[in-house]
Amino acid sequence: MKDNTKILAIITYVLLVASASILLNDIREFDFNQFKAFQNWTSTVNKNESWFRSENAIKWSYYAISVGLFFLRGYLIYGFAHFLPILKEVELGHYFSDKNIKNFKKIGNVFITYTINILVLRYFLSALNADSFHFLNELKIEFTFLIPAGLAFYILAEIFKRAKETEEENKLTI
Amino acid sequence: MPIIVNLDVMLTKRNMKSKELAEIIGITTANMSILKSGKAKAVRFSTLEAVCKALYCQPADILEYVED
Repeated sequence: MKDNTKILAIITYVLLVASASILLNDIREFDFNQFKAFQNWTSTVNKNESWFRSENAIKWSYYAISVGLFFLRGYLIYGFAHFLPILKEVELGHYFSDKNIKNFKKIGNVFITYTINILVLRYFLSALNADSFHFLNELKIEFTFLIPAGLAFYILAEIFKRAKETEEENKLTI
Repeated sequence: MPIIVNLDVMLTKRNMKSKELAEIIGITTANMSILKSGKAKAVRFSTLEAVCKALYCQPADILEYVED
């Protein structure tokens, strides 16, 4: 069991480092210079145009959404990082500890929050690019597994909570 | 908990120490302390049998129901 958890911890570390480095590389490659043209917001804005339709507003929105997408990817990596304390607890033999229950809940939260936020941001992004956005298709293509996975972690947290109670009761049976 | 464990009374009657009883029935002193303090959630029939055998008594001598 100890060897298995060590292997799992190593795999988790490798995945975390790989996804973090991919994210950092994507941020590096993201051309922030493209926004230089509209950084002098007040000088270039057309005062007669409605703010929401102005080119600057659209570009800034695109910029904000891109930053949001990067942030959410970082948030997902943060969620995956919660597997490490769970594996540590399992290695120590504390299978049904409060820490594990809390971490399972956090992972569930991260998965569901990530999926919902990504869908919202993608909707805005497609609205900005005047693309068509099909909610069900978006849900089907990439995120179908993350919502059930998030719910599964919630259920797992609840099962571990009950298991902890049973373990305590078992300890107090003489 | 409305179930009272009167192990102390029986130990005094039999002039036996709880450590001694723990050794006879094969449980740890920590578990004996849980049993004596009434913190135990359940008692196995095997433990009850061993206690009754060691103290020459009936289960009713050890366990008592008191309404809350």
